[in-house]
Amino acid sequence: MIDLSLSRSMVLLPLLAALVLAGGCASKPKTQYGDARSVETVTNQFGSTDLQMIAESMTRSMLQAPVIASGNLPIVTVQEVKNKTSEYIDTRSITDSIRVEVQKSGKVRFAVDAAAMQQQVEELQRQQSDLYDKEQAAQTGKMAGAQYRLEGNITSIVKQDKDIKDVFYKFNLQLWNIRNGLLEWSDEKEIRKTTSKS
Amino acid sequence: MKTSVLVALLAACALAAGCAHKKGFEKEGFAYGCPIGDTKISSMEDLTKAKTVYEGKRTTIVDTEMRCTMTGDLIKVDTTLNNDSSKVKRINYKFRWIDREGMRAAEEEVWKPLMMYENSSQVITAVAPSNKAVDFRLVLQSQE
Repeated sequence: MIDLSLSRSMVLLPLLAALVLAGGCASKPKTQYGDARSVETVTNQFGSTDLQMIAESMTRSMLQAPVIASGNLPIVTVQEVKNKTSEYIDTRSITDSIRVEVQKSGKVRFAVDAAAMQQQVEELQRQQSDLYDKEQAAQTGKMAGAQYRLEGNITSIVKQDKDIKDVFYKFNLQLWNIRNGLLEWSDEKEIRKTTSKS
Repeated sequence: MKTSVLVALLAACALAAGCAHKKGFEKEGFAYGCPIGDTKISSMEDLTKAKTVYEGKRTTIVDTEMRCTMTGDLIKVDTTLNNDSSKVKRINYKFRWIDREGMRAAEEEVWKPLMMYENSSQVITAVAPSNKAVDFRLVLQSQE
């Protein structure tokens, strides 16, 4: 009886030890910094590479538009990019990236947009209070109105069967002249991503 | 006598003009419209070699032609990539923009994926992000 239990524990102990060791090795996570501008293909949903490619492509195209290339430093306001796809996409993040790149080119000035208007008005009103030096405080009625507005949309077509999923994104951006309602520039960026099981 | 001298001079001028046009050099420091600085470029092959950099996994895709022009005050580059293998090739590419001092004129571009059919060529176009960019490099990388 004693011999049997001893031999059992002699078999079980190394097995347990091996399991603990194996478990420890498998679950050890590894964290590394990567290239923020590398091509990301983890899934075929809208990802960082798509966002960066769209922003870059749209910016470079827009910089060649006559109203911007003329060097008159037009004032632009960024409006909504409508997400017409079936997935959640932070379109504000796309327009923010476009705005940053265009701003860096030094060819455009951006007027406060609708989303930031509340904060702008609050700050102006705050400076009108008795707390501020009247001579240095920003005056109301001096804000610059935009000459052009930037708006767009993103659509997608998704086709799927049991082995393959194909996603087609189309991003469209337009620059409208606010005064006369003319479309001054527009461009599109198309992206196709296919995931197959084989 | 005068006529023969004139004819010889005209022939020399025509020859010189012909040669200059053949090389495609518009002005000093440029070849095929692309900025080359002091680099000696005497053919399209020289130009594509001078302007192309390979990073990461080496690809067999090569750029066979490169031409530049100005769009406003920005450099615009047209380059022809060639896949002469019998397989579909997938690469990433980006342009690196360089300023007057030889430093980066802008932040690094995003790697752009590109699929190339077998035995095909494709033209890719790029525009400088700002007028600070006076030179560039095309960076290629294999996805496979």
